[in-house]
Formats: sequence, structure tokens, C-alpha cells
Amino acid sequence: MRKGFLTKVTGVAVAVSLLLMGTACSSQDTSSDATGEREAIHVSVGRQTLQNVTFPDGDNYEDNAYVRMTEKELNIDITDEFEANGEDYDRQVSLALSAGDIPDMMKIGSLDTLKELYENDLIADLTQVYEEYASDYLKSLYDSYDGRALANVTLDGKMMALPGTNGDNGPSIAWIRRDWLEQIGLDIDEDQDGCIKIEDLETVAKEFMSKNPANADNVVGIAFAPWLTSGDPDGTFSMNSIAYALGAFPKTWMEKDGKVIYGSTTEEMKQALSVVSGWFREGILDPQVGTRTWDDITALLANGQCGIAFGTWHIPGWLLSNVYALNDQATFEPYVVEDANGMINCKHNDATGGYIVVKKEFSNPELAIQIANLFYDTLVNDTSLLDKYPEVKDYVTNGVDGSSRPFNIEINSYTSLLDDYTEMMKGINNELELEEVSVLETRTNIPAIQRYLEGDVDADNWSRYHCRLKGVGLIQSVTENNKFAWVTPIFPKTTTTMETNWANLEKLEEEAFIRIVTGDIDVESGFEQFVTDWNAQGGAQIIKEISEQLQ
Amino acid sequence: MEGKKNNKRTAAKRRSEMSYHLMVFPGLFFLILFSYIPMVGVIMAFQDFVPAKGLFGSEFVGLKHFIYMFQLPDIGKIIRNTVVIALGKMIFGMVLAIAFAILLNEIRIKFMKKTVQTIVYLPHFLSWVVLASVVTNIFGLDGSVNQFFTAIGIDKINFLGSSKVFPGLIIGTDVWKEFGYNSVVYLAAITSIDPGLHEAATMDGASWWKRVWNVTIPGMLPIILLMTAMNLTSILSAGFDQIYNLYSPIVYETGDVLDTYVYRIGLVGRQYSFGAAVGLCRSIVGMVLLLSANALTKKLTDQKIF
Amino acid sequence: MVENRSFHSKVRTLIIYLIVLLLGFSCLLPLLNILAISFSGSAAVSANRVGVLPVDFTLTAYDKILSDGQFWHSFMLSVIRVILALVLNLALTIPMAYAMTKSKKEFRARNIYMNLLIFAMLFNGGMIPTYILVRNLGLLNSIWSLVLPGALPIFNVIMLMNFFLGIPKSLEEAALIDGASPFQVLIKIMVPCAKPSIATVSLFSIVGSWNDFFSGLIYMQKVENYPIMTYIQSLNVDIQELLKSGASSSTLENVTELSNRNLNAAKIVVAVVPLLMIYPILQKYLITGMVMGSVKE
Repeated sequence: MRKGFLTKVTGVAVAVSLLLMGTACSSQDTSSDATGEREAIHVSVGRQTLQNVTFPDGDNYEDNAYVRMTEKELNIDITDEFEANGEDYDRQVSLALSAGDIPDMMKIGSLDTLKELYENDLIADLTQVYEEYASDYLKSLYDSYDGRALANVTLDGKMMALPGTNGDNGPSIAWIRRDWLEQIGLDIDEDQDGCIKIEDLETVAKEFMSKNPANADNVVGIAFAPWLTSGDPDGTFSMNSIAYALGAFPKTWMEKDGKVIYGSTTEEMKQALSVVSGWFREGILDPQVGTRTWDDITALLANGQCGIAFGTWHIPGWLLSNVYALNDQATFEPYVVEDANGMINCKHNDATGGYIVVKKEFSNPELAIQIANLFYDTLVNDTSLLDKYPEVKDYVTNGVDGSSRPFNIEINSYTSLLDDYTEMMKGINNELELEEVSVLETRTNIPAIQRYLEGDVDADNWSRYHCRLKGVGLIQSVTENNKFAWVTPIFPKTTTTMETNWANLEKLEEEAFIRIVTGDIDVESGFEQFVTDWNAQGGAQIIKEISEQLQ
Repeated sequence: MEGKKNNKRTAAKRRSEMSYHLMVFPGLFFLILFSYIPMVGVIMAFQDFVPAKGLFGSEFVGLKHFIYMFQLPDIGKIIRNTVVIALGKMIFGMVLAIAFAILLNEIRIKFMKKTVQTIVYLPHFLSWVVLASVVTNIFGLDGSVNQFFTAIGIDKINFLGSSKVFPGLIIGTDVWKEFGYNSVVYLAAITSIDPGLHEAATMDGASWWKRVWNVTIPGMLPIILLMTAMNLTSILSAGFDQIYNLYSPIVYETGDVLDTYVYRIGLVGRQYSFGAAVGLCRSIVGMVLLLSANALTKKLTDQKIF
Repeated sequence: MVENRSFHSKVRTLIIYLIVLLLGFSCLLPLLNILAISFSGSAAVSANRVGVLPVDFTLTAYDKILSDGQFWHSFMLSVIRVILALVLNLALTIPMAYAMTKSKKEFRARNIYMNLLIFAMLFNGGMIPTYILVRNLGLLNSIWSLVLPGALPIFNVIMLMNFFLGIPKSLEEAALIDGASPFQVLIKIMVPCAKPSIATVSLFSIVGSWNDFFSGLIYMQKVENYPIMTYIQSLNVDIQELLKSGASSSTLENVTELSNRNLNAAKIVVAVVPLLMIYPILQKYLITGMVMGSVKE
């Protein structure tokens, strides 16, 4: 009995160490000859999914038309090791990472995770397979970013991931209720170039408030989200476009006169805050700014309490559609805000977003490249593939979400947004047959917009018209007129001081900005104090570290 | 004879002791498996934990993460905010739950008693993500409370946007959300009070208040003490979900708490070890408070909590 | 004097009723709001126009739920989980709590066990070691991963122990003198006497495992294995995060689809219903549970 107990104790001790060791051993496919007939290779993947995606009956993320096509074309067998939505997915990734056992291929969300995976020696070097297997077209897509896309995923000279690309979406656009402007007879853009001044915004806000075209209670001139500024140039409900028009680039690292600066601490930023806090005093700005959430602001717009919304070119598709749903007479006109010289200041996005990594021990890393070839080259350029897989064609026509593809990333050329627009306009003007249109989505956009222009205003036509024709059209015309003044920011790697102090510096910034805007603290002295604190609490040190990175 | 009797007693005692061991063992198995084995993970707090190297391969860095934690700017303010909100929730929450249990016990209409009891325990099941929008609708500047204030001629209060009232709002809404559910345990305590004691007190001519003070509350005391001690262990947790869904930079001054702060720090690479360090500090504070509460209870009431 | 007193007591009763009703009503509001949202047209919902009464009454949300296979799968998973967890919790908690009521004299190892319990209640290894453990035990994606790690709720043990201590010693001693074994005492005397408190810990167990969404997020690697509350939790999409991660416009359209808010509200309503049904059942024991006095006599 006693002996039995002792054995048990040792047993437990062994178990403890075993149970917590992390599994290094997992089943691995024996490598097979790449040439000739071979058994289907098993590929386990981590998939970032979306809630509420409608699949045809019986299909799901693991088994759907895209996956079946991939399996057949490449003779592989895909199983999902884990699936989860949004942040839950990131948690699964970090749990897999903590157990030291990742799927053969998975999507990750950030370069920090990529760096961690690399330092943990868990992922494969793709340099060679990329060179060897990537199609010329796929390479040309990455190359359109002047090397910035691949540079992001190159660590110690090795390409460690297949990056999703991130083109420029332009600045945050001021979407203004066109039906209201017409109703009250206000014309703020006489030359029709879509560029307006900050004062024009004020005029519109004041007019909308006093005339109250929708007869709403508690009207609000302009509403911003609590975080006020955004690191993305086109941040929704942000004051970015006002800041940019004054030459300030909040939440942006950049080089100026050979020195690294942080955009939120500049003199221009103070001016931008001073303008917005002036609005708050005058009552143009939402008196509840700071506590009004995303949903609240959407409700303000939908209720007709507010007629100005800041956001990227595609917000009519998923945000302003709330306004249409309550009032199908509502229309919006997009405007960009110009600086004193009539230029539209904007900054470039980081070239990549979303990454596919391959497990170090995986026998056939080239498959990742081949999957990318299949979706971002063949499927786009070779229509015969769709004829071969009618169910995939159905997916495309029915708009089953792209996240159902094995790789939930987008790879497009840098100019794709405007290229698509040009092609779309040709289609709308009947200069191009629908079958000749190369981009699948454009094929759906053209007839929808044509229907809208003919007066068939249903929700889908409405949003495609506003997004593609109005929103992208504005970016196109500003580009054509050479009115964009582009700034290229620095995208630093996370530095040691950032690791320890960044959360605090962000807090300092957000707190100071909202207090300045609401008049809780004085613009001049408050901003001064913020800059001093920011530098003292690690900001200056971080700037030093970034400068060292650049050398 | 005497010795024999003694022997017999010890044998019986041993037998029953064996039974008690048997009663403990199944639970103990799970306790060791799912609580004690993972506890090895505490050493993460003293390492720069690298997942791929695992717990036994990561580099030890001593108290680095603890020192870092206490050197964070604002850490004092954040701990203060956390304790203020957690204490407020605990005190008001318990008082309301106990009072509600006592009041509910006075309701003689069975149907009403049951219905109300079922209703008040409902908010417990709604997540803060859902309730936050209800709270903003009620307490926003255009919300019903402020409309009422305007109607009776009081200045509007920006509940969600004022550092002064924000902790009060957090405490109040949490107390409201949880009192019904928390009262369950006090109701159970009330039902176990000997009704004879109430009858005796009534015979002695004690008023309702007196009976509550002298019979009901003393009868609930062990449970009240237990709950107090248990609540004290979470003095450094002010409720992440609630605050995260309601706060904004305007109220960081009084509304930013340990959990929200750590969440925002959440930088890749550090999070495992730093998170473990914060958790360990919490546990130690919890333990100190729990042991003190136990000792104090023993001294004052001659009962103990565990 | 007597009249005066009965008048006082009437006023007192009235006030008590009023307070209780008021508190009850305040708790009903949010639920009414969610209920109203679930029955309202989606446009009205996104405009924040729904209060406690539905606007543009519609049943589409419930219609959709009925045909949502995943929802019901998750729902059933949660039901099974709750049952498994309840049985296991009670089977482990009750005997342990009883053993812990013994003094050091009766049960010499008592304090060692107690300290083990308290220590485990306060300290934990955190999410990652537990995850690795569950993973290495091969429990990932299994319903047992949701049940076993929480098999012994320590707080319930301590609470039940305190309730047991409230039962008059004389009852137990009488049984022991009659020659009953500790197990017989536990089953024949303690459990029947402690019905209200056992109902309480049962309630805690049921509510706890029904409401817990986090273990599902960690131990279930696919949405199809999510228990109901994890499923509902995953319906909350952070649009800002999506925007940051460079989601395409069509993806955003999908996520922010107008009907989502009232559909999600309907899902919450349906998920809360079982808890509404469980409570009255347990309530019977909570209110009219065995009263000590009657046992004594």
C-alpha cells in the first residue's frame, strides 16, 4: 500500500513535468517527392474567421468551394487546426505559440507576432520557395510596393512570411449629406473638385444645426470618436483630416529635417486641437465628445441628428448604409479637406497587413506560395478556372466572404484601387464589355451603379454607387489633379522603451487631447505640458531608439 | 477495561478518519491536477518567458517584472482607483444584497416574492458589452436621468465623462447588476435561521427592527463574514469588462484600473511574464487580507471562516 | 397602542413592498430593452430608437435563430455541460465540505487539506500552463475541457462547509451514537438538512458553467464546438480592430450587416431563458427549504 502510494507520487512528479513540457512532438508528414504522382499532402491551417458568414448549405470554413478547389488543384488535403473570429483568433495563435506547436500554415495579424515566431524559431524561411515558385504576376503585385511589402517580412535577410498587402486608401473623407445641402441651398464647393476648406466644414455644420433639415432633436454639428485621432490616415470618425489639413500627422512617426519626430507632439497638432476645441466652445462639436461611442455616432447619423461623417471611401457600404436604411432619400457627397495651399495632405499606409506563416518543420513550404498563386494570380487572371469550378463561380457571384479562402489575406497591386476605378468607369460608360472586365468585384459594381444612375435606388446599388463612384472617384480626381501631398512615415519596430512605456504614453496623449478639446485644460499650456510629460516619460528615449534603428 | 475502551474508540476514530480521507480524495485529485500542477506556471513571473523554450528553459530574471510594475508611471493612481472601486462595489454590494434578502423575506405574497426574486437575478446574466449600451442610454447627456434633472431644474451631469462621478457610476451600476444574484446566498442563510428564535423575540415584544438586528443579522453573520473575507481577496480586481466598456480617456484620472491598464500594455513578448507577475501580486495581497480577516473574525466572534 | 402598532406595521409593510417592487422593476428594464430590440426592425435599432417597447415589430430575428444550426448545437452543448458539471461539482463538493467541518481532533489532516484549498483558491498558474495541461491531456475540443478544470469549485466547498456548521451538532452526534458511519451521517442527516444551501451551490454551479464563455474561447479550437455563451460572446465584433487589421470593405459589410444587432439580442434572450426556468425550480428549496427548528423538535 505504502509502496503503491510512493509509486503514485513519483508517477505524479513525472506526469507534472510531462504535462507542462509543451508538445514538441507532433505528427509530421514524411516528405514526398515533389515530382510526379504523389499522395495528397496533408496541410493543417489556422483560419481567422468571421461571424455570420453565409455559406451554401453544408459548406463551412473547413470545407467549402474555395478549399475544395485548392485541394484538387494542388493535390493536398486541408484541415483546420483552429478557427476563431477576430481577437479570439489572435488568442488561439498565442496559445499555439505558447505550446510551441503551430499549424502547418496560419494567418497572423501583426509584425510583432511574426517577430516572436521568428525568435522562437517556429517558422520556415520562405526566401527560396518564393523565388522558385511565386508566379511572375504574384511577384509583380509585391513589387508594385517598391520593395516595402517584402521588406516588412524580411528578418535577418530571410523572408519569413507571405504578407497581405495594404494599399493607400487616401485620407479620411468628410461625407456630407448631399440631400441636405441641396435642401438648404448651400454650395461649399463651387469648382466641384471635391476639395473644401476647414472653414467650409464649419459653415456646413452651423447651417445643418440651425436649419435642422431632418427636424431632429438634439442636433450635433460634427461628432468624433473618443480617441479623436487615428494612426490610420483614413480613421473613421477621427479628426485626422482636420489635423492633416493643418500639417499635423497624429500618431505618426516621421522624419523631418533629418530628425525623427512624433506627429502628435508637433506645433501643428496644437493648432489642430485648438481648432477643434474652438468648435467645442462654439457648440459645433458634439458636447458629448469623449463619451460618444462608435454606435452612438452611427445612431446620430441615422437619426438625422448629424449630417457629417468622417471615414474612408468604403464607409457608405457598411456604416452610412444605416442612414439609408432609415431614409432612402439620403445621399452623401464626399469631400477632402485641403490645407492653406489648396493641397490635400495624406500619409502612406504601411505596405502590409495580415501575414501567412509556415511551420518550420512543414515538409512542403512551397505549397503556401502555390496557394497564393492560385488565389491572387490564376483565379484573378484565368477565367477558365471559374468554368472548371462552377461552385467557385457561384461563390463569387453570391459574394461569399473572402475569409472563406484558405488564406484570409488580400494581395493586390499598389495601384489596384484606382486601376479598378478606371476599368469600372469604362464599363459604366459602355466602353468595355462586362465579360472583358478583369476584376470580379468590378463586374458586380458596374451594373449596380448603372442601375443606380437610372434611378433604381436599392440599398446595394446605393452603397456601391457611393463607395466606388463617389468615394474612389474623389481619390482618383484628387490624384489626377496632382493635389495629394504624400508623406511617408516611419514604421519602426517595437523598441525596448516602447515595450515598457508605450501604453502609458498613449494614455497621456489620449487624455491630454480630449481634455484640451473639451476645454478642461487650456490649449497653450495644456499642450505644452503634454509635450514635456511625453518626452520625460519615455518619448524622447523612444525617438532616440528609433533613430538608431534607422541607421 | 479503560485501555480497551480507549482502544476501541481510537479504532472507531481511525475508521471515521479514513472515511473523511475518502471524502476528500476525489476532490483532491482534481485540485492537484488542475490547480497545483499548473501552479508551476507562477515561475513565469520570475522569467523572461519564451514560449518555445518553455517553463523550464526560459531565462530567469528575478524580480525584474515586479520592479517594472512598481516603476510604471501612474501605478499609484491606478492602484488607488482599483481599490476605491473594488471596495465601493464590495461594501455597497453586500449591504444592498443583505438588505434586499431581508426585505424580500418580509414579502408574504408568494407569487410576488418568487417573481421579484427571479427578476432581480436576471441582470447578472447579461454581459457588460450588452449592458453598457443600456447604461449609456440612461446616463448619457441626453439620457433619461438627465432629462429628469432638466425637468426638475437641476444641471445636467455628464456621468460618463466626469472624473468625479465616474467611479460612483461604476460602483452603482455594478451593485445594481449583482445584488439580486448575490442575495441568493443570504436568502439561504435566512432560511436556515431557527424560526423559534423569531417567535421568542416577538413574544418578548421586540419590534421588527429589533428582530432584524437581534435575530436575523446575527443568524446570517457567519455567511456575511465569509462573503466579506472572500470579497476582500479580489480587492485588486475592479471588474475589467464593465470598466472597459464604459470608460474613455476623459475619465482615466479616476477610472483607469489595474486590469484596463495591463490590458492596454498587453505588448507581445512581455505579456506572459508580466501578466504572471501582476497575478502573483494580486494573489499575495488576497492571501494577506484573507488570513487577516480570518484571524480577526476568530478573535472577535470566536468563529472562523475556514 | 395596539392600533398604533398595527398601523406602523402596515406602513412598514407598504414601504417594504414598494422598495422591493422598485428594485425588481429596475432590473426588468434592461431585459425589456433587449427583448424589445430583438423584436424590432433593424433600422430602428441602429438608430437607437428602441426603448422598452419594440419599434416596427418583427419576428425575423427569431425566425433566423430557429434555422441557425450552430446556435442550437451550441445551446445543447451548454445543456450537457451544465449537467455534467453540476453532477461532478456536487459529487466532489458535498463530501469534501462535510469532511472539512470536522475539527482537528476528529480529522487530523483537516487543516492540511483546508490550507491546500485556500492556497489553490488564491493562487493559480495562469491561463497558459492550464491550457498546456488540458492540451496534453488530450482534452482540447472535448466537452470535458469545459467541465474538468472547474470540477472542484473551492468557494462552494467553503460556503457549504459553513452551512453544514450551522446544522446543530446534536443531530449528527445522535446518529453517530446510533452507530451510523460518517457516510451515512452525510447522506441521511447533513444533505437533507442542508437542502437550501445545496440548492444555492447548485445554482452557482449551473449559472457558473452556463455563463462561462472564456474556457470555450481557449479550449475549443473551432466555433462549431463553442458552448452557447462563448458563441454569443463571439458575436461582438470590434469594428475598429477589423479596420486596423485591414479588413476589406465587403468583409466589413458582412460584419456590420444591419440585422445583426436585433439578431444578437434575440440570441441573448433565448440563451437566458433556461436560467429563468432553472431558478424557480431551485427556488422551491431556497424558500421552503428544510427548516432547522422543525428538525430539532
